[in-house]
Amino acid sequence: MANLSEHMTKARDMGLDNGRVPVEYYTSADYFRREQDMIFRRAWLMVGRVDEVPEPGDYIVRDLPTLKASVVIARGKDGKVRAFHNACSHRGVALVCQERGNAMTFRCPYHAWVYRIDGSLSAIPAEQDFPHVDKATSGLAPIHLDSWAGFIFLNFAQEPEATLPQFLAGLDQMLEGAPFEQFPFCIRVTDEIDCNWKNLVNAFNEGYHVAILHSKTLRPAVVPKENPHLHYLDVKHFGPHSAGTVQRNFDYNPQAPALTWVYAQMLPTSAPDIAAIEEGRAGFYEHPGINRLKIPNFGTETITIFPNISIQPLANGYLFYQFWPINEGRMRTEVRIYSRHAPRTLREEYAMASTLAATRDVVVEDMAMSRLQQIGFESGGKTHQQFGQNEPLLRMFTRDYEAYLQGKGMGQP
Amino acid sequence: MNHPALPENFAFLAPFVATWGDLHTQDERYRRRQELPQGELEAFHAALAPRLEEVFTHLDQFDPQALPEAEALLFRVVLGLTEASQAVEIFGQPRVPYAPFPHSVAMEWVGYQPH
Repeated sequence: MANLSEHMTKARDMGLDNGRVPVEYYTSADYFRREQDMIFRRAWLMVGRVDEVPEPGDYIVRDLPTLKASVVIARGKDGKVRAFHNACSHRGVALVCQERGNAMTFRCPYHAWVYRIDGSLSAIPAEQDFPHVDKATSGLAPIHLDSWAGFIFLNFAQEPEATLPQFLAGLDQMLEGAPFEQFPFCIRVTDEIDCNWKNLVNAFNEGYHVAILHSKTLRPAVVPKENPHLHYLDVKHFGPHSAGTVQRNFDYNPQAPALTWVYAQMLPTSAPDIAAIEEGRAGFYEHPGINRLKIPNFGTETITIFPNISIQPLANGYLFYQFWPINEGRMRTEVRIYSRHAPRTLREEYAMASTLAATRDVVVEDMAMSRLQQIGFESGGKTHQQFGQNEPLLRMFTRDYEAYLQGKGMGQP
Repeated sequence: MNHPALPENFAFLAPFVATWGDLHTQDERYRRRQELPQGELEAFHAALAPRLEEVFTHLDQFDPQALPEAEALLFRVVLGLTEASQAVEIFGQPRVPYAPFPHSVAMEWVGYQPH
């Protein structure tokens, strides 16, 4: 690492001069409606992992608050994973009521119309009274589904404008073979708060705030002396998606008895496993698309998938964050902490609960600040917010956000 | 509420049973931490944090999925420290600064039933 500052990507390096961005994007109901139609009904949206439905008949139900969509994702007898709107063809009931399970059929609790696990309609009680219903074309309404690296993506367009690989625009190639499947166990953290969803997207796209907002939580562990504003390094962009390298302090050694005890039981997801790194078995750290600079104190690659995802691969697992607008002034954050296995002992359960509390508190800091930001926006005194040269990904997100709202942006070939 | 006795040797945690012993989820513990005075969180931390290894050496003897009542109570009390230690070792105050109060967060261990 000859000169770190050479790798601190600035907005000007990416040709991004949009340093002033209208507050209206964050407060207007009209913009929210355009986001629903022009972004969330066009982009591929990640909704889960294929290993959540490993066996034929396994299903999960997900609700997507942005589109008010209730979605059933099910693995058929043929092994194929499909997605459907959770709505009976008869009179619309959201018929699958358990969040997950295994079944070969779904039976509507209202009038007992029955569907196969592949979504096709199999039985109508008193069928003679529905001569106008063609069973062959009256299955559950399908949603376009594809997967990459084990992540399930949905597309709510009638016909997607781009395939999933076209949409991912090279990010998929950079991360080809990244070992997400080595970390199958997850804890999901979900919270809703009064702010615009893009406040959170932006918070995860810059390190500038880390030493201040997270002064007691993240700062000691991740902000190195040589990069006090935690400028992201080696920013890479792929269509509207991006990745940036973030350092951490390998000599972080908390002098706190409970935390020290936790570290001795099971390293938190975010802590570098120095022994594993030295032996070349440290999960994502070994992947060629991650830490291209080979920084010795590599912390994570913060990967943003447009419009609403941030993934942080770490030595012991990965963190997955997703930000769903509910309306212009309210949003849902979903965090997933992925690790190698479920707790095997009470020591591990305590350690994972402690890591959960610590990870959650960092996100709560971000959400709390995003709420204060929204209060400030809605007060109406400012028409614009400012994005610095050290916040290139905020400018990039805004550029691509505007392109989507204008009907452009999808990565056609 | 009536509680079983804590296992022998862990009576020093008896003053904290009423606070932490009936909580069964991480969110309940998170909310309890927010409403307690910092002094109480510090007293709990001071009593337990230096003796965690001793507690788990005892708990190691039991099947995690079939804890006797006394050990299950002990573990629930001890899990309170996952939240109290955030207040004591990280923030120096019960709540995350600037966060709404009371604040509740849904936390789900997928495919595992935590204690």
